[in-house]
Amino acid sequence: MKDAIVITVPSHPKFLSVVRAVTVTAVRLYEIDDTTAEEIKLAIDEACTNIIKHAYRGDTSGKIVLKYSAGREAFKVVIDDNGLKARPESIRGRSFDDVRPGGLGIHFIKRVFDIYKFDAKKKRGNRLTLIKYFEGEK
Amino acid sequence: MNITVAVYRGKKVVELSGDIDMYSSPELREHLMALIRRKVPSLPVNFGNVSYIDSSGIATFVEGLKCMKSYGGRLQFFGIPEGIMEILRFSKLDRVFEIYGNIEDVFDS
Repeated sequence: MKDAIVITVPSHPKFLSVVRAVTVTAVRLYEIDDTTAEEIKLAIDEACTNIIKHAYRGDTSGKIVLKYSAGREAFKVVIDDNGLKARPESIRGRSFDDVRPGGLGIHFIKRVFDIYKFDAKKKRGNRLTLIKYFEGEK
Repeated sequence: MNITVAVYRGKKVVELSGDIDMYSSPELREHLMALIRRKVPSLPVNFGNVSYIDSSGIATFVEGLKCMKSYGGRLQFFGIPEGIMEILRFSKLDRVFEIYGNIEDVFDS
């Protein structure tokens, strides 16, 4: 992984548009196709939305740090926050047949990323690593 | 996101534009629920100028649909761009929402 792009945004929903804009710019730099770029944009937005909602519980004074990088085999995003610890085992999307508000964000993340992993070693806050392998590299 | 309510053939039509996300969906919810609380029999929503929607925006519409169904109302979408349609298909919500190509199709339904 080389040529990393790192941005820090406040944990306020109004900065999600900045995250989306940077994400699309980053994936284009890494020559990822437009359809996948849109899926990645939505996935990263959902991951940050989850941080604002669950890790920071709506506190807009926190920080979210996103690090984008790509190598020959994969595109990777590492997202750090200093909020409440996530409980990965409790993060489940709703069944598509159980039509109710909420529960879709995790599906949108896992639709495009092959790896969705929290760093258990991080002492304070969360570090979420998302990896998308390129065709034939999985 | 920008939200306006237009009148077409004497009926209210919600016109949306821009991005619908966690930041803008509370405003969308406020407008949508204000109309739904009046128990409008049908509510067409124009997605033609919507550039983006995330799960917060979708959740707002699912909530609106549930409220409308409780009194027999119809929430009707039209003009959905392909990228957003693909998200609805992936979520299997294309089978849940009433989706039309354009406003004429809505009024002919």
